[in-house]
Amino acid sequence: MNKTLLGYVPTQSPIYMIHPFVKLFFMLIVSLFPMFVAAPEWNMLLMLILILFMWISRVDMRTLKIYVPVAVSMGSIIIISYVIIGGTHPEFQLIAHFLGINVYWERVRDAIVVYFRILPMIFTMVFFLSTSRERDVIVAMRTIRLPFVVTYVFAMALRSAGMVLEDFQIVRQAEQARGFDTAGKSPVYKLRKYVNYMIPLFALSLRRSEEFTNALVARGYAFTGEVSKVKRADYVLTHYSFKYYDAIFTALISLTFIALLILRYGYQYFSVDESVLINWLRNFFL
Amino acid sequence: MSNQTTSKEMTAEQIWGVQPGERRSVGVIHIVITALLIGIGFVVGAFGSISFPLGFGVNFFWTGIAVQQIGSVWFGAWGVLAGTIFPFFSNAIAGTPFYVSAAYIPANFVQAFLPAWVFRRFKLDPRLKTGRDYGILLLAMVLSSAFGALWSPLVVLQGFGLLTTDSLPLFIWGWFGGNVVAGLVFNFVLLKALSAVVIRTPAFVKRWWS
Repeated sequence: MNKTLLGYVPTQSPIYMIHPFVKLFFMLIVSLFPMFVAAPEWNMLLMLILILFMWISRVDMRTLKIYVPVAVSMGSIIIISYVIIGGTHPEFQLIAHFLGINVYWERVRDAIVVYFRILPMIFTMVFFLSTSRERDVIVAMRTIRLPFVVTYVFAMALRSAGMVLEDFQIVRQAEQARGFDTAGKSPVYKLRKYVNYMIPLFALSLRRSEEFTNALVARGYAFTGEVSKVKRADYVLTHYSFKYYDAIFTALISLTFIALLILRYGYQYFSVDESVLINWLRNFFL
Repeated sequence: MSNQTTSKEMTAEQIWGVQPGERRSVGVIHIVITALLIGIGFVVGAFGSISFPLGFGVNFFWTGIAVQQIGSVWFGAWGVLAGTIFPFFSNAIAGTPFYVSAAYIPANFVQAFLPAWVFRRFKLDPRLKTGRDYGILLLAMVLSSAFGALWSPLVVLQGFGLLTTDSLPLFIWGWFGGNVVAGLVFNFVLLKALSAVVIRTPAFVKRWWS
């Protein structure tokens, strides 16, 4: 199993045949798709495609569980925002009135459109995070020739996030060993104690920064001055080659995006008025 | 022990002032501290984003503000840089779309920059010795969060068509309250507890870059 940024993926997963740059490119471009697509059924289709990609990539689908509360919370907020506190609009079509709240068709429609725009963006990000390892992100950054220092900071940041989580566990266990127990305590109490975790976490990180620096200096690393201008070997890149199918995937992603823009702005596709689902719902409610 | 005595004797002016003959330059440690701050912010910010979500990366209690503002006070531009970058990661884990996170950059930049600027401009003591130190820090926290609260829901979320005009106050107050309350809980305690140590480390930044 390979540890990705969000879970584990089998080493034999077909996703590892693809160059990391293609995955980064996919995330950056496909995240834009929902911004140009208003019709919810197209965004649902995009979500299904992303789930299919995750399944093909052998991503552990249980990872998605942590996003259920996020999806529910966002859905609730959008409904509250659009439908419950959407204001009074005599120009809109009223479909219900309860507890003094006017529920308008236009507000319900907009809430659905926005929600199904957000979900595929989240799925795209989850797909990227659950299939990419730290090394993949570094390779993608090196492939597009980002300066070494930028890549290095990025890589160290990802690595240190894991260390902070470990430190957090250590601090928590140390507190527990001293008899500290939050079971049955109020959220305010737990929050107050959370402050006590932050102080040792910061202190540990400060100490670690000096250890890191000493290790880097001892190995001759420098990010400024003459030494930093020496061309690096980019050893990690030698493990990856940009194959013909990577070029095909990159071209396909680009062409799909261009086609989407042409269809959207040239032929008015993917608009709310063109949506089959929205038209069906309109007939249902009105 | 002698170091502790020295730090106790140091005034706020001495903390921020470069002494005659003192050489300060950008070093590997600043790069390392930026990376570590991004890492801490990633974890701490994601905790707030997942535990108290309001939606689209806006939270009722965003713990990441502590890393954003304390990091920039201690480490200057490196802290500001980290404070601007790490929300990308923490928001991503919490399910915020990439381009929404990208549009939050100005808000996160100001939230990190303003406390760092007031400490350097007004020569405040990061160990929070006087009421003036507390007062100006609080003002910077409130003002920077107010900018973030106005920028993000008004410009970003409204720009992306994610919010209605009627629901803006909920998000503006959510962002503002979520940041200021978390700042009140963490910033003062962290500065008070750790500044005396941090100002003696080579990572501490007196000016902006070194």
